[in-house]
Amino acid sequence: MERLLAFGDAGWGDEILWGTLLTLELAAVTLPVGMLLGFFSAFLSMSANPVLRAIGWAYSTTMRGMPELLTLFIVYYGGGLALNTGLNWLWPGMSFEISPFLAGVIALGLVFGAYAGEVLRGAFQSLNPGQSEAGMAIGMTQRQIFWRIKLPQLWRFALPGLGNLWVNLLKDTSMVSVITLGELMRMSQVAVRTTKEPFFFFLVACAIYWVMCVLSEMILAKMETRANRGIIRARA
Amino acid sequence: MTDRPVLLAEGIHKSFGDLHVLKGIDLTARKGDVISILGSSGSGKSTFLRCLNFLETPDAGRVVVHGEEIVLRNGRPANTAQVEKLRRHLGMVFQQFNLWSHRTVLENVMEGPVQVLKKPKAEARDRALALLERVGLTHRADVYPAQLSGGQQQRVAIARALAMEPDAILFDEPTSALDPELVGEVLKVMQALAAEGRTMIVVTHEMGFARNVSTEVVFMHQGQICEQGEPARMFAAPATEAFARFISDTR
Amino acid sequence: MNPMDILAVHGPRFLQGLGMTLLITGLGALIAGLFAPWLALWRAQGGAVAQGMLRPYISMMRGTPLLAQLFLIYYGSGQFRPELQAMGLWPFFREPLNCAILAFALNSTAYQTEILRGGIMGVPRGEIEAARAIGMTRWTLLRRVVFPHAYRIAWPALGNEIILLMKASALASVVTVYDVMGVARQVYQKTFDFSALLWAAVIYLLVTGIFVTLWRQSERWLSPHVLAMEKRARR
Repeated sequence: MERLLAFGDAGWGDEILWGTLLTLELAAVTLPVGMLLGFFSAFLSMSANPVLRAIGWAYSTTMRGMPELLTLFIVYYGGGLALNTGLNWLWPGMSFEISPFLAGVIALGLVFGAYAGEVLRGAFQSLNPGQSEAGMAIGMTQRQIFWRIKLPQLWRFALPGLGNLWVNLLKDTSMVSVITLGELMRMSQVAVRTTKEPFFFFLVACAIYWVMCVLSEMILAKMETRANRGIIRARA
Repeated sequence: MTDRPVLLAEGIHKSFGDLHVLKGIDLTARKGDVISILGSSGSGKSTFLRCLNFLETPDAGRVVVHGEEIVLRNGRPANTAQVEKLRRHLGMVFQQFNLWSHRTVLENVMEGPVQVLKKPKAEARDRALALLERVGLTHRADVYPAQLSGGQQQRVAIARALAMEPDAILFDEPTSALDPELVGEVLKVMQALAAEGRTMIVVTHEMGFARNVSTEVVFMHQGQICEQGEPARMFAAPATEAFARFISDTR
Repeated sequence: MNPMDILAVHGPRFLQGLGMTLLITGLGALIAGLFAPWLALWRAQGGAVAQGMLRPYISMMRGTPLLAQLFLIYYGSGQFRPELQAMGLWPFFREPLNCAILAFALNSTAYQTEILRGGIMGVPRGEIEAARAIGMTRWTLLRRVVFPHAYRIAWPALGNEIILLMKASALASVVTVYDVMGVARQVYQKTFDFSALLWAAVIYLLVTGIFVTLWRQSERWLSPHVLAMEKRARR
């Protein structure tokens, strides 16, 4: 067993390690994309304009009603198709291949954004309006109220939901192996193909995902404590 | 010029749906005035106070603060920057304190001067500490609001309002959310402010404060000013039956 | 090809795919639904042994990708072929469909257990005490008070879990099960017509939409007392 996970040419330790790093990289790059889309989606669904609200609803419903794998395929094949049609129209003869990594970031970002939009909207609606009023009363601008009052207070309500979404994102990166990104899942499959040890390598992959998820949960618990500062019940 | 009112409101109307809450309220506050607004719940007194700094937008009427009139267009302030400027000149103390829960006591008091008035941090900090000393809470400067009693929170909220060096301070039932034994400490601070000549407009149920501290009492009834005048005279001889009933009920 | 032509030519296969998607989702959810209430009860009220066994299981199921679980069962079982043959289990594990359903059931059991545990913990203590006070047996108490209450609380979350499972069932296509996703991939590989993927999206969205509507309806049917309150409020 140790032989199988050795580093260098003899074992698969280094391949698995690189795969794990790529998994983490994909999740880390997707997170800001998804958060940005999530805020967009939340603002759309809370907008006073019915057209914007409808757009927000359509985005969130489609992304949450469709298998992530299908979204990934549509982005990977359709995104390339749309991009090349556009490029060809602008510069005939130009072509561009959308990479599995980029497709993964876009597809998983779209999915994360749809769910995050719901979490953030709920969090915005849980905020105590008196806190913003106190900002208005001293003459803060709407922008200041958003950045200095609403946003810092938002995390307390949004972090548990966003934490779940992060764990889901970590796990969903495994799907990008299907469109040949060499992340953890793909590297395990490569190892299995040569060694014929599927049980061992997929068990190792599971263990690595599990460690990443459990560590994430521990860090998130710490962050939640921090977001709750100032909310302690204790009375002096 | 010295006689220019600090705050002038004329013909303020406000409806919520079919409910006509304010039916043309006028109010003038001059420097040093302490005006208590009394009235039973539902009389519109809190709504009126919130119309003064545009937390509610009046449907009709004029508000002039710091010599500047807020222009309304289609039932909204024509210029949000103008409203933001007005609010810098009017402090407000809320019934539920509304201290920012994610900032410490000191940060709450510094926030306005630093972020809105763009004062240097060190200066704002010194001033905030001085104000906390005035309300007797220097020793609690670095705790979060949730760690304070209601009375302490309200004193911090008063310091926060003072930090903006406002022309006048609006108090929206500042003691109504407090346990009875904590009301006194807040009233004492307010009384001290009145004594040093601050301009204050106070919506309250505290008859003692209205009678003994304020320079003028306004009694609102069903969306209108029913009676108005010098407290000693009003309490000794109510001119209207509504006010007479109100004082006998609250006694 | 025109998107309509794709549907005309491959429509029947998509329909079969839909049948497969409903089958694997339905069976997975159902099997999980049979085990989850008892595990949830065990998790809510059991002692150290119960916690010691259930917590790692639930944590592992929720902390690893379903795709990895599926690979572990489907490809991993191949490594133990002689042993499984000796036990007569090989015919089961040889079929990707069986492995997919097994993986989905195991995975969904963990999620449903946690959801129902929340429901059980949400049953008001007073109602349980009232039932004990009139001398209900433990079984009657569970059947008449605890579970009806717990399911009512957990019902919306269970509906969400079934939708998530339906979406996750598309992973079965990776081990050559021809569900909607599998059919779409097959048609796309054959025709390189992108609309095959879009039709799959339409099917999934329709199924989700119909399911959400039906589930909401069932929620009302499960909680007649809430319905009665609504009616009174409207009057």
